[in-house]
Amino acid sequence: MTRWAMVADLRRCVGCQTCTAACKHANGTPPGVQWRRVLDMETGHYPDVRRAFVPVGCMHCDAPPCRDVCPSTATRKRADGIVTIDYDLCIGCSYCAVACPYQARHKTDRASFAYGGGPSPAEAARFDEGRLAVATKCTFCVDRIDAGLEKGLTPGIDPEATPACVTSCIAGALHFGDVEDPASNVSRLLAENRHFRMHEELGTGPGFYYLWD
Amino acid sequence: MDRIAPWLQTNWDHRAAGNFIGGGTGSGLAIFAAASELAGGNPPRAAYVLAALFIVAGLSLVWLEIGRPWRFLHVFFNPQTSWMTREALIAPPLLIALAAAAWHGGAALAAVAALLALAFVYCQARMLRGSMGIPAWREPLIVPLALATGLAEGAGVLLALAIVAGAAPSRFVLILALLSLVARWIAWAAYCRHLARRGAPTATRQALQAIDLQVLVLGTIAPIALIAAALGFADYAGPIALAAGVLGLAAGWLIKDTILTRAAFNQGFAVPHLARLGAVGSDSSTRPGWS
Amino acid sequence: MTGAAATAKQVATYCYQCVAGPDLLTVRVEDGVALAVEPNFCAAAVHPGAGRVCVKAYGLVQKTYNPHRVLSPMKRTNAKKGRDEEPGFVPISWDEAFDLIAEKLNGIRASGLLDASGYPKVAASFGGGGTPQSYMGTFPAYLAAWGPVDMGFGSGQGVKCYHSEHLYGELWHRAFTVSPDTPSCRYIISLGSNTEASGGVVGVKRHADARIRGLKRVQVEPHLSVTGACSAEWVPIRPKTDAAFLYAVIHVLLHETPRASLDLAFLKGRTASPYLVGAHGYYLRDPASAKPLVWDRVLDRPVPYDTAGAEPALEGSFTAPAIERGADGERLGDGALAGTTAFSRLVAHMSSYTPEWAAEICDVPAATMRRVANEFIAQACVGQTVEIDGMVLPFRPVAITLGKTVNNGWGGYECCWARTVAVSLVGALEVPGGTLGTTVRLNRPMSDRIGSVTPGVDGFMAYPFNPTDREHWSPRPNIRNAYRTLVPLAANGPWSQALGPTHLAWMFLDGTPEGLPAVTFPEIWFVYRTNPAISFWDTAALAEKMSRFPFIVAFAYTRDETNHMADILLPECTDLEGLQLIRIGGTKYVEQFWDEEGFALRQPVVAARGETRDFTDIATELAQRTGLLESYNSAINRGAAGLPLKTERYDFSIDVAKPHSRDEIWDAACRAASAEVTDGAASDGLDWYRTHGFRTRPFTRTDWYLYPALARQGLRFELPYQERLYRIGQELGRRLHERGMTWWDSQLSEYQALPAWKDFPGLWEKAVVAMGARAQDFPFWLVTARSMQYAWGANVGIELIHEVAANVAGHGGVVINGDTAAGLGIAEGDLVEIRTPRRATRGRAVLRQGIRPDTLLMVGQFDHWATPYARDFDVPSMNALVPLSLELTDATGSGADLVRVGLARVGARR
Repeated sequence: MTRWAMVADLRRCVGCQTCTAACKHANGTPPGVQWRRVLDMETGHYPDVRRAFVPVGCMHCDAPPCRDVCPSTATRKRADGIVTIDYDLCIGCSYCAVACPYQARHKTDRASFAYGGGPSPAEAARFDEGRLAVATKCTFCVDRIDAGLEKGLTPGIDPEATPACVTSCIAGALHFGDVEDPASNVSRLLAENRHFRMHEELGTGPGFYYLWD
Repeated sequence: MDRIAPWLQTNWDHRAAGNFIGGGTGSGLAIFAAASELAGGNPPRAAYVLAALFIVAGLSLVWLEIGRPWRFLHVFFNPQTSWMTREALIAPPLLIALAAAAWHGGAALAAVAALLALAFVYCQARMLRGSMGIPAWREPLIVPLALATGLAEGAGVLLALAIVAGAAPSRFVLILALLSLVARWIAWAAYCRHLARRGAPTATRQALQAIDLQVLVLGTIAPIALIAAALGFADYAGPIALAAGVLGLAAGWLIKDTILTRAAFNQGFAVPHLARLGAVGSDSSTRPGWS
Repeated sequence: MTGAAATAKQVATYCYQCVAGPDLLTVRVEDGVALAVEPNFCAAAVHPGAGRVCVKAYGLVQKTYNPHRVLSPMKRTNAKKGRDEEPGFVPISWDEAFDLIAEKLNGIRASGLLDASGYPKVAASFGGGGTPQSYMGTFPAYLAAWGPVDMGFGSGQGVKCYHSEHLYGELWHRAFTVSPDTPSCRYIISLGSNTEASGGVVGVKRHADARIRGLKRVQVEPHLSVTGACSAEWVPIRPKTDAAFLYAVIHVLLHETPRASLDLAFLKGRTASPYLVGAHGYYLRDPASAKPLVWDRVLDRPVPYDTAGAEPALEGSFTAPAIERGADGERLGDGALAGTTAFSRLVAHMSSYTPEWAAEICDVPAATMRRVANEFIAQACVGQTVEIDGMVLPFRPVAITLGKTVNNGWGGYECCWARTVAVSLVGALEVPGGTLGTTVRLNRPMSDRIGSVTPGVDGFMAYPFNPTDREHWSPRPNIRNAYRTLVPLAANGPWSQALGPTHLAWMFLDGTPEGLPAVTFPEIWFVYRTNPAISFWDTAALAEKMSRFPFIVAFAYTRDETNHMADILLPECTDLEGLQLIRIGGTKYVEQFWDEEGFALRQPVVAARGETRDFTDIATELAQRTGLLESYNSAINRGAAGLPLKTERYDFSIDVAKPHSRDEIWDAACRAASAEVTDGAASDGLDWYRTHGFRTRPFTRTDWYLYPALARQGLRFELPYQERLYRIGQELGRRLHERGMTWWDSQLSEYQALPAWKDFPGLWEKAVVAMGARAQDFPFWLVTARSMQYAWGANVGIELIHEVAANVAGHGGVVINGDTAAGLGIAEGDLVEIRTPRRATRGRAVLRQGIRPDTLLMVGQFDHWATPYARDFDVPSMNALVPLSLELTDATGSGADLVRVGLARVGARR
């Protein structure tokens, strides 16, 4: 069975937000909505201070709380692990948003554009009324994955079939692949490096791993 | 706001709080009125109407809050796992039962309405418990707290209704109301203590701490004392009960509004292992905003 | 989503918004609308950054469609200029715009290109460390055709950049910029170099790879920058004390480490360490040949340094029959002269600079400095070799890098010198794994760093110093910043103007010092892709000076603080609309050294918006209207378009007699590029590059390192003793004093052969006192740091950039140490005032632990008041506070982004 997952190498990430921007480009998200973003976290007391950059977004959990609470079945989980939203089913109740411990869901009630007023030509071309007033989130660029698989490409290896954040990362910090395939890129990374998942104690089973050593 | 340490959720606002308030109070009122009826009392029929109105008001507020209100029928699609679907499925029969109880009266209809009301408020409590993203809501002890405060609030309304209806509340209702206040205090204290022990966002604990004294003094001790007085001085039972009811009701609304808005900080982000970049022997973690 | 597009394509182009580029990207275009930026995956094989681009490039779609763009030529209608004067820009036709500009230009051609002071009447300023050249098409050809142009009114380049490192670096190792050999380096001491913010796509990738490989970097800087976050250790050093840190490291290497653990072979054979230094501080020279002498241990007598088979003594004092030549050829000594090796002089010079001495200055424990020095030498692998492309080279995987404010301003020389000396002690200079230069801008040819290594005097590389001898030095500078007169190191090439003291041009407008011709306003000033009213110092004063320029032509993307003073706005085709071919790969700034070299095309991704025109077409039109068409076309043929269109091998030159379209010119350039890359085998033109985007050939990795070229030519690195600089300083001083010019005297004190530590922090305190105030009332150091998201390219006006940058701490206010803030009653988000004795600014407090308690930080450069969108940010900039100051200018003409300030809370959080 396939289980798509993402791996973020905390030793590489420089917090540049290139993935944040690339995701916005690939998915045409409105101003203020970042399906992927990178946190700038500081801990300690001067002079013993650490600063860390941590990419976050939807974790595509094994046991996604968002799916269980969704009243309309708009949120579903595929067999390959990707958690999807059917925008046409969603009633915009935001229950999924409060159910998500990763703050990964976003809802924009009204159309808004980068410079206020009306849309630029690029924004007009991307505008999707169906994504207003409903829940949205990182999709692992599922359209790219499905289209790529159809062409015989390998998600995580072939850029065309890989999430935009992964292919844009200038530090090479993000990786994507099948964790159920022991020979995959991500499986090897997990085998060779120490890693954790965020909020592991909540039992969500995130499909997003952080390498740290 | 750096949106790293837990921050106040903005997905559900006072309208959602209104749903839990209306739903809890309305259900509690229905249960109390039915209990009174079943114990041989004569609760005003208006109690069932008022209960229905509370519930409808709450649901209407939520309907106003959702992004796609005209798709509301989709809310019924996931009874398998969604407590919101279940809440929505129970609402129509509950409202019908309340209307029937108000119009026709009788213990049987009252009992049906009460059971449906209990199920309704239970669904609402489970809805909160399912909100994995908000530590103050996913705390398991929110279920008994939501049930207990619903009952206490309903009791409060019934006590207030009594004087409006021109009759003094029965001893049965007064004692049940007193017990519901005690139960609520126990549930509240246990909820707060459990949250503190398991860990919660510091800001959540501060927001709950901020109302603790009011809940104890004005929301529990004062109405209990007043009810005791009402029990002792039957002549003034009406107005005293009214005061007790209002205090008990207000405290419940304060608790719910606080939990649903001011204490509703999300999980935030945490890193159990910062990257090791050559510094020997150091393994740091960070969990900003938690204690 | 809406229905599928009728046409969809992926258009290749390059991004060179900042000096860490160029990098390659593609843009997805559907039905003629640019939608999304993506990497150029086809370039992954040749681009060290895997064909990717950084966050800034993702702002280019919004940049193209920015509703605030200037889309037609504009003319000023309000004759008064000033911050508070609305320009009253009205749209005009291109014809009218060209008429107005050509009228001015032709008037100048008729009356003379130089004014009464001898300065060019035409001035032009381009910021961005030279990157605008990759966006201005053939405009450089127009400037070349014009004649003398003053490009020395700076916007920060040349003074706020890596200035001292540019100049001294090029002298010592052809290093306009310096980088570790990151792909194989193991240990880096980084003093303020913020690679993870400014190193670009290639720098970030290489350092990330290196971290995984186990490279350890110690980040020494006053705040915990993005780079510090990604380093193994953060050492919070006091600002402007970096030289003391480095001196302490050198002390440990020379006085606490066995001599044999240094790279003695390198020191003896590839540096001037064995040269004998005489009593007057100059080399002892062979009386016959005048070559510097070394002491041959085998023959036990002095011999010229290049004597075959000699075994020079590294240390010791000797007496030798010699001459000692000082400034202006004076013979200071003749006969049996006592001399000490340069290395022994160095050892003695560094003996007092112990870690204990440095600890108090730097506020860094001596143990830390000692440990870092020992880690450095432990990792240096002295004696080891590595084979690269069949060549056996020394392998020394250690490096020391310097950042802004460390490698410029007072102390910049000391830091650059100490860094270069330190790495040379272990032979880690210009060898695999070590500390490398990456490009040249002053030495030529600019496109061939290795080719720029030619023999000069005394066994060193040649260097095109501006003359300081009586016959050739001139007090009549060619441009207003007087670089030729004041800064011998700035050379006299096409880039020298921008590498002179570019703030002096601004300062001298209101008072030229004794001896220089009065600095005048240029009659016409062209401005492109730069905003000095934001990016330079004392921005209020700068804007006021600009308002007195009589005629300004601004190539405008949007309104901004500089073009607020303009007379004409010309709307340019921005990044995704213009056409140009540039060089990529080889070795270039920052960490851009590739295993490939070649060319990349920037092509119109979408149709030009509004009435914007391509710069090449603008330049051609101007050439025609000012009677310069032939010289303009000739300049293009000679190489002003990036490469010569005619060589012995090929001829794609354009007919100089007629005007050519943009596509004709660049098609010729593309053909020349194809011929160069394929050694004449191919000559594909514009269409080929439109499809493929770029074309490269292998670049020998051994050409990353200068060592082989020096070894091949028998040359030595001019280290550690700066005999030539000392002499030049003496001569410059004489020349200036002969004309009564004493105002450059403190700068002359920098010309030391072995620079001593001076109280650099004290200079900034003295500056406060000189303004009539008390240093203790301004107890904080205000520093700045790079924002990768914003830096360069007018990104302040782009919503996407603003939005994503908000995720990175510090954007949006003033970073203050949390305990310091608490002591002053300042809470997160409070409004604070930061002030100098003369200026004040305000911003929101951002409380952090990763910053010294005595230091404040303003990230990036904001404080906009005219640029749409950015003017609403309400974020302060240190540029408003830092004065234009001669006292704080060093010998190379640079200053530092540093100022002493006071801090107070003035309001609550919003």
